[in-house]
Amino acid sequence: MKNGPLLFLGLFAAFGLSWAGLALGTSLQLGSLAPYYDQLENRAFPERAPGIASRGKLVYQDLGCAACHTQEVRRAGFGSDTERKWGDRQSYARDYIHQDRLQLGLSRVGPDLTNVGGRLKTAGDVFKLLYHGTATMPAYSFLFDERPLHAEPSPKAVAVVDGHEIVPSARAEVLAAYLLNLKTPADYPVEKAVNTVVAKKEEAHK
Amino acid sequence: MTQAASNAVSETDTTARGPLVLLLASALGWLVVSGLLAIIGTIQLQAPAFLSACSWLTYGHTQALQETVFVYGWAANAAFATAVWLLGKLGGASLRGLGLMKVGIAFWNLGLTIGLVAIILGDASAVPFLQMPAYVHPLLLVAYAAIATPGILAWTGRRQQATFATQWYAVAALFLFPWLYSVAQVMLLATPVRGVAQAAVEAWFAQNILTLWLVPTALAAAYYLVPKLTGRILSNYDFAPHGFWALLFFGAWTGTRHLLGGPLPAWVPTLGIVATLIVLFHYLIIALNLRAGLSLGKGDASLGFVAVGLIAYLLGGVLDAVFSFGTFAEKVQFTYFPVAQLKLALAGSYSFIVFGAIYYFAPRVTGIAWPSPGLIRAHFRLMLLGLVVTVVSLAAAGWSQGQGLLDPKMSFDAIAAATHPWLLAAIVGEGLTLLGTLVVLVHFIRLQVLAGCAGFCCSPVALEASAS
Repeated sequence: MKNGPLLFLGLFAAFGLSWAGLALGTSLQLGSLAPYYDQLENRAFPERAPGIASRGKLVYQDLGCAACHTQEVRRAGFGSDTERKWGDRQSYARDYIHQDRLQLGLSRVGPDLTNVGGRLKTAGDVFKLLYHGTATMPAYSFLFDERPLHAEPSPKAVAVVDGHEIVPSARAEVLAAYLLNLKTPADYPVEKAVNTVVAKKEEAHK
Repeated sequence: MTQAASNAVSETDTTARGPLVLLLASALGWLVVSGLLAIIGTIQLQAPAFLSACSWLTYGHTQALQETVFVYGWAANAAFATAVWLLGKLGGASLRGLGLMKVGIAFWNLGLTIGLVAIILGDASAVPFLQMPAYVHPLLLVAYAAIATPGILAWTGRRQQATFATQWYAVAALFLFPWLYSVAQVMLLATPVRGVAQAAVEAWFAQNILTLWLVPTALAAAYYLVPKLTGRILSNYDFAPHGFWALLFFGAWTGTRHLLGGPLPAWVPTLGIVATLIVLFHYLIIALNLRAGLSLGKGDASLGFVAVGLIAYLLGGVLDAVFSFGTFAEKVQFTYFPVAQLKLALAGSYSFIVFGAIYYFAPRVTGIAWPSPGLIRAHFRLMLLGLVVTVVSLAAAGWSQGQGLLDPKMSFDAIAAATHPWLLAAIVGEGLTLLGTLVVLVHFIRLQVLAGCAGFCCSPVALEASAS
């Protein structure tokens, strides 16, 4: 190769094509996805997260929870996501349209959290998990405050130690709100129709 | 390195000494930090309670810090030094803009330090390979422009119009990194694209940090070193341009293969898989061109590093292709296996080839040979053993984890218990790698001290024979 400008042009083309195809292409295809308006329930899905849950998402992001947890249910027949009851259906692009900072995750050291709000019933469940940890998850004790116990322990107390009660900090409260809000809607007619056709075709091929 | 080779200190080498030594010192320092963080992170995977009371060192933070230090600390500084030195050498004239480069290096490392503190304080962006917060990246981009200037000037002011593969790859790395980096900042941090489109952009960016920046830098060094050190011409060199363009035009599309089974449209991961298979053509050409450098036997110390790096590169390419297929991807997705593959690419192919280059050009930059062949051998053996142990144990842990995840009845406690022995082995592997890094850092400091003494005394430098 002797021609410097031609090399430069080639570099630009290689970069530009992959950018246009993958980055811009997906953005153009998925950028116009709108929420599905359910006339029976008179609500649009997916719903926007309440403010407290949005603040909790920042804590989730700050702690780097996505290093161990994913937030995507893969399609039936690919992995065991549906058998593990992480969701009744696979995740669709439409589920994420309100997310300004995606937390899909790359690793499953711990379980998928797409529908963890349906598995953990109360904030108390989340606090216990965060404070005590498990064999595979560390305890996040720094998310809790210790304060003197005067009479009865607070309803939110996760433990009482030497005359002190351990209560969730504001960060733990918003994180719990975020996790409890993680639930996907039942289904969307468009995606359901497409998947039914695909499933029938796959069945016919077998 | 032979005595004769060590004596060949050209004008280009000596004028670039200050900034190149600064880059190498920064790179090695950051590599030690990255090694420490890698050990802490692997211990945290094996024993989650380790440092759990420390809010600024959760596993999420450790992982983000380690990745950032490795890529923007070690890999970036070493890549700048390698690319600029190679372009200067092949340009045939003294490097220009070195003062600006020094300022750039200082600001790059300052920006990185600010970014790391921000991650520690909980201000990470949570984007793979772009973990530092949005306000740090513009500083790094400006610093990069200053660092790359001598390389670009050497390319535009080269004495011969005909160019060599080393120059194509080095120029590609220098130009493509800022484009990629600035586009990612806009699409992921400044004005993030909507919803899952972010996942496609993230995958495109993360893959291309390797494919369009680090891999071209390493291959530039390999194309330069293999004929120099073996004394043989490159076989089938006519195919080299095809290999170059195959990497850039198809390799840039391979990142989305990891998104199989997820919420993105099926064409996105499918394109990634097809591109991964086409890129095998590039690996074939690299194997053909550089096969003289694949021998691990006798020869120069630099050649040993390059040989391991090339073997890791080719093996990584084949593994990427095999594990992009749905049948295999299903078994290893979201496990430690892709971590092992990344380790093979970064700590294996990239680091080994670049260390080969450093062992070659550091004596030429400082004007003095490496003081101890024994330390070079110790570094090589520790690093190779560390790489093999880490990659094999993480791959085995990932495979075991994948089997467990596929079985819906298997609990996460049981999966973790099955991976624990392999993670213990990975900790040992990371320890060996860190030890190797400490050896090369000490050796580099000795080299600089000797070079300083030689310059101070103004006496002829006694060049000792380096490693065999």
